[in-house]
Amino acid sequence: MCRELRQLKIGGWLLMAMVLVAAADTRAQNPLTASTTAHFAVTAQTKLAVSAAILTFPNSDPDTVPMIQASEGGVPITASARNSGTNQVILSVVASDDLLSGVNRINISQLRWTGSGPGFVDGTMSKTTAQTAGLWTTSGSYSGTMTFALVNSWTYAVGTYGTTLTYTLSTP
Amino acid sequence: MKKVLLTLAMVTLMAGAVAFAASDTKNLTINATVSSTAKLTLTGGPVNFPDADPDVTSTITSANVVTIDAKAKTGSASAITLTCKANTDLTSGGNTIGIDQISWDGADTIGTGFAASGTMSNAADIAVGGWTGSGARQGTQTYKLVNSWTYATGSYSAVVVYTLTVP
Repeated sequence: MCRELRQLKIGGWLLMAMVLVAAADTRAQNPLTASTTAHFAVTAQTKLAVSAAILTFPNSDPDTVPMIQASEGGVPITASARNSGTNQVILSVVASDDLLSGVNRINISQLRWTGSGPGFVDGTMSKTTAQTAGLWTTSGSYSGTMTFALVNSWTYAVGTYGTTLTYTLSTP
Repeated sequence: MKKVLLTLAMVTLMAGAVAFAASDTKNLTINATVSSTAKLTLTGGPVNFPDADPDVTSTITSANVVTIDAKAKTGSASAITLTCKANTDLTSGGNTIGIDQISWDGADTIGTGFAASGTMSNAADIAVGGWTGSGARQGTQTYKLVNSWTYATGSYSAVVVYTLTVP
């Protein structure tokens, strides 16, 4: 009986050893692998900030002030966009109409601007065709200033004139 | 302890710029004020009349021409008037020459509206020019003095006041 128990123990230890050897052998010859995939979709985006709501041009003597500056100074603008890297980012501006005061009007082409900052350009306002105010080729956030001036003239009739400019920042 | 090795065999990072059109808009209000304004400028004065033989020169024309700039901003249908009036007759001490002996010939140089002629007065405003609506106008006056043997010797003068009225 004792001899049988010793044989059983030896067999058990042998079996355990065989299992451990098999396990070790399994680890060495068959590593487990897994994979995963990560996605990041970058979409075209635009964000436009125009840091002024109203510009006012005061009455002035055309002989001494041929170009009237806005009382508020320049208009700070920040144009932020993501694009493909090959398409342009365009900031354009167009007026709703001429400067109007009742039946009197001042042609909107009398309103000009100078652009400062990377990508910002000078221009003359139009009510029929959107004018380019800024142009970029890569994604980024671009800050600049548009400084407006109104041509002065003795031919303007008395009145309070107004119009609305619409800025559009777009990337195709 | 059973250790299981996991090998991250493949991780694929996909960062593709998906090109969709995008735009943003903002508005800006523009206001401009044009107020009633008048500006009058005279150049070429004073007006001098040299002495002359009345038999040879019945009317003495001034050597210098007065140029007038009349500028105004007003309503589109508003009437603008330019007048002149002498404060006295031509006076030299106790002697006078009637101011109505002076007249002028007018001409437009920028725009139209200057009176073609006029006779000076010290009693009433005399029309020099008239316009409707805003604008910058320019014209000239060439003065003339009726010559006469009846004038007493002396250096005569008078002041003429021009008035530009803009509603």
